[in-house]
Amino acid sequence: MHRRNFLLGASGLVAASSLDPAFGFEREGNRRILVFSGNQPVPILDPHQRYDWSTRMMQRCLYDALVRYEGSPAKVIPWLAERWETSEDGRTWTFHLVGNAKFHNGDPLDAEAVRYSFERGLKLNKGISWMLSKHLRPGSVAAVDARTVRFTLEQPYPDFLSFLPLWFVVNPRQVVANAEGEDEGQKWLTNAEAGSGPFRIKRWDGQTVMSLEAVPDYWKGWPMAEADRPAGVIYRVMRESAPRKAALQRGEVDVAAGLTPDDLEQLEKMPGMVVTNDPGAAPFSIMLNTQKGPTADVNFRKALAHAFDYEALITIHKGDAQLMDGPFPPVTAGRIACDMPRQNLELARQYLAKTPTPEGGIELEFLHIAGHEVQRQIGLVLLAALRPLNIKVNLVAQPWPTLIGRGASPETAAAMTAVYVTPVTTSPDTVASQYASSAAGQFWGIHHLRDAEIDRMVAEAAVELDQAKRMATYAAIQRRIVDLQPVIFGMTANQRWALRPYVKGFAHQPLNLTGEVDLFPLFAARA
Amino acid sequence: MLRLLARRIAYVALMLGGLVLITFVISNVTPADPAALAAGPDATPDMVATLRQEYGLDRPLPEQFVRYVGDLLHFRLGRSIQSGNEVTDDLARYLPATLELVLLAMGFACVVGIPLGVLSAVRRHSWFDHAIRVLAVSGVALPAFWIALLLQLVLAVWMGWLPTGGQLSIAADPPPVVTGMVLLDALLAGEWATVSDAAAHAVMPAFVLSLPCLASVLRVNRAEMIEVLGSDHVTAARAHGVAPGRVVGLLALKNAMLPTMAMIGLRFGWMLGSTVLVETVFDWPGLGLYAVSSAIASDFKPVMGVTLCIGLLFMLANLLVDLAYGWLDPRTRGA
Amino acid sequence: MSATAAPGPRLARFRAEYAGVLRQGRFFAWTFARSPSALLGLALVAAFLLLAAIGPWIVPYPEDARGAVHLANRLQPPSASHLFGTDEMGNDILTRVITGTRTSFWIGLTITGLAALVGVPLGIMAGYFGGRVRSVIMRVTDVFLAVPGLVLALAIVASLGPGILHGVLALAVVWWPGYVRLIEAKALTLRSEAYVEAARTMGASHRWILWHHILPNCVSPLVVKASMDMGMAILAAASLGFVGLGAKPPAPEWGAMISVGRTFMPDWWWYPAFPGLFIFLTVLGFNLFGDGLRDTLDPRSARG
Repeated sequence: MHRRNFLLGASGLVAASSLDPAFGFEREGNRRILVFSGNQPVPILDPHQRYDWSTRMMQRCLYDALVRYEGSPAKVIPWLAERWETSEDGRTWTFHLVGNAKFHNGDPLDAEAVRYSFERGLKLNKGISWMLSKHLRPGSVAAVDARTVRFTLEQPYPDFLSFLPLWFVVNPRQVVANAEGEDEGQKWLTNAEAGSGPFRIKRWDGQTVMSLEAVPDYWKGWPMAEADRPAGVIYRVMRESAPRKAALQRGEVDVAAGLTPDDLEQLEKMPGMVVTNDPGAAPFSIMLNTQKGPTADVNFRKALAHAFDYEALITIHKGDAQLMDGPFPPVTAGRIACDMPRQNLELARQYLAKTPTPEGGIELEFLHIAGHEVQRQIGLVLLAALRPLNIKVNLVAQPWPTLIGRGASPETAAAMTAVYVTPVTTSPDTVASQYASSAAGQFWGIHHLRDAEIDRMVAEAAVELDQAKRMATYAAIQRRIVDLQPVIFGMTANQRWALRPYVKGFAHQPLNLTGEVDLFPLFAARA
Repeated sequence: MLRLLARRIAYVALMLGGLVLITFVISNVTPADPAALAAGPDATPDMVATLRQEYGLDRPLPEQFVRYVGDLLHFRLGRSIQSGNEVTDDLARYLPATLELVLLAMGFACVVGIPLGVLSAVRRHSWFDHAIRVLAVSGVALPAFWIALLLQLVLAVWMGWLPTGGQLSIAADPPPVVTGMVLLDALLAGEWATVSDAAAHAVMPAFVLSLPCLASVLRVNRAEMIEVLGSDHVTAARAHGVAPGRVVGLLALKNAMLPTMAMIGLRFGWMLGSTVLVETVFDWPGLGLYAVSSAIASDFKPVMGVTLCIGLLFMLANLLVDLAYGWLDPRTRGA
Repeated sequence: MSATAAPGPRLARFRAEYAGVLRQGRFFAWTFARSPSALLGLALVAAFLLLAAIGPWIVPYPEDARGAVHLANRLQPPSASHLFGTDEMGNDILTRVITGTRTSFWIGLTITGLAALVGVPLGIMAGYFGGRVRSVIMRVTDVFLAVPGLVLALAIVASLGPGILHGVLALAVVWWPGYVRLIEAKALTLRSEAYVEAARTMGASHRWILWHHILPNCVSPLVVKASMDMGMAILAAASLGFVGLGAKPPAPEWGAMISVGRTFMPDWWWYPAFPGLFIFLTVLGFNLFGDGLRDTLDPRSARG
């Protein structure tokens, strides 16, 4: 059991039983250990089974990918692959690997490892698989030689590169050695790693404390001075935000994610506390069931959209949010600004008058994530906003899996569902596909929009090689989406973390999911 | 004595059977589709159908019940969606933490409650007595989660004297596992730094948990002592010149033992229930926190597992109390 | 007969007929009033009932009880205009707490009522008829009592889904065994009373005996238990609300308010502090009141 792993050497670890808050960080020897805290556990570490913000954050520490996103605005930079080419017809991609990458157990990271990893991801058909499964058939990844990998796509897909930072490379030898029967090592990789990244596991308890130690001879090298390099990082799960904030204040935690806007406002005023504030990429929207119930009527949807109090969204975030001025998030290539609905009770009443229920008198269900304070407040705003239309709102909090379970089919989907959809890449195809019929069953398709024209345009633009034509089609798609109003478009909230001032190297990357932080460049500055 | 034991054990077995039936009934009243819940968020409809077949959720109810009992006998309680582990593994992991808390709380209630109750009876009608009576009454009425929050606010955040939550500090290494109870294991291993760390973390949760039990113990001991002190044989002993202290100590205390134990047996149940609240506030990694986070996530199997586990625990505790009662009070032997 | 004026004959006849009952009533009141803690309990309970009855009409900001949105005014500390401060949507906490009194009242009443409705008949049957019937009923009761109430309620609510109605249902299921136990013990002793035997020999039917002899004598322990249970039921329901399985927003239920308020500790401490205070006082009141009743109605079981 996990307890046995806890016995790993605690050399010179000063027990944090010293309650002195000035003693802010953990140490090993004379190196610091940084402590990060968030609310989400990491039940499955396997990079080909699952991804969400906490899981990805850990996976990035332990594994590497062919390329990486860096900077704001996000750009793809070489990582395991030092360069790459595309064929004329856009169907073949060839990557050339660096020569010095190696796994934690010493095995070299070669093209075979890359091929195995991609095939494994496609075969398991979970997690990230959806990103490439339509375009890569099993067997279409080839290790041409020890340092070259070739991908042959089903059809040209310009956005192919944008997904690669999310596909990690595992060590085939270790995985096969630890596989149980036919499971391809899934059981083993749930709590163990077979990676090449800057950290390796020291102690792992996916529900509470995950302790990673730094790999001093990491093949890529470390971005900070060797003397400053941390001994490791710890991710501590604390489900409630109040204790997390208290732990940050007491110095038990160095970086905290997921604090409420009110908490952050308080922390900003304190000395000895830094609060970051960067524009985020994940739009928040209230998805309306376009197939069933009163929301199936486009006029009804427009009425809702014009009754909603958009300014309240900004107030709830204390000004740290931007209203969406177009259906695509700001990071997406080819996005345009459109004329979005704003609160206008007159207009709302006019739209409502065109529906079968001009006097309202109905109750709609609003589904949101349990325990998410901001979403709950948005629900209350919605309730108050729809009252003048004589529409009642029934606020229902559900945990994420139940919420998307319900949203999977138009029969069970609620009238209104609150969702953040992080665009994991800059690819316009991903975002546009969210409004196509193929999105049904995924959490970004809870609106169940079925529009033949959008479907046609999405399919066309996905494979279009002519940039100008492509962008024009996406512009048309965006305008049509606004007309159909399948969702109430909300805001993109700023991404904010609270940290102690001695934490350096923090870099914001808008494509990171919710609370995810790149832990690799972080270090604690000496006094 | 053996007959008593045998009868009691048979009784517990019967109760356990009833509990299993109840949990089965509760499991099948769920409005959510159990197969979809078990399959998880990324499941396609085929995956859900496969799982439905695999778990036998499309079979008639009696057959499902037989299967359920069979699984229980093999200690198969299902898998938690949230943690991904077998529920039995999770239970084994979290049970010691809850036990530790409950034992500490009960110990505190007895060690503090008995003498204070006795003292309150001896000094009846004094201000001390009145203060004890107020504590006895309010201890039961205080909402555990509220007093927990307030204590956390005052002692942990404002004063900084105690940690805000958890069982140990973040990067502290747990002691070698003997019982699973961190404080005990640290004591056994002689790791004094860990002992003080664990103790500091356990103070507030154990105290809050002990309050209702403390209140009851105070009341019972006080009442019993008052009765006994006024009884004939005590008056006789006093008249014969036995020193008052010995009177209290020997005669009265022994008589107060029985009802106190019965009260503790009763209160144990409420205490087990309160762990749900206290563990949530103090982030204590026990069964209560496990049950709550699973319930919120509609993760069903763990909640059932915890119900069975706590039910069993309670039944065993009652069995122990019964046996101890029978052993201590010869009148009830052979009952 | 004294020379009283207009109330005269009617009232006098009433007085004569029910003289015994009136005397006993006065005695009860006098005994009750002798205990200061019982009086405190009575005062708290009376205040609670008063707030439950007229609360919604005396609150300073009635629309805040329904979930208005005044974001400019959020999380204000206690002040003259907002005695208990405001919450995260700008609603007055005093208003919501007082409105929540009514919610808590019907929660407590429903749980206790349902539990008694199911538990009392079963208890009477078990105690009076004895034998097989008693065996079965008591065994089933014991099974329910073998699981700590809150845990069982949690399991039931986890299955049914969150919501106040489900919570109330779950707690009623947890509570009825207590009534069975209490009433069964009482009915058992009553069964062997002389007047019951006499009634049987005179040919009275079971129903008649149950209605005229057994049930009336069960009333006093029932009333004592019910009044103490009101407080504990409210506490249990608030506990479920705290855990997140209670009333849905924006309903002003005390447990749910503390649950949300928890996120706002410690800086905005007033948010969870005041609802909790009300829970405490309510439960305390009912406990003291129940204690006082027990001392009055059944002094032999005095627990000092």
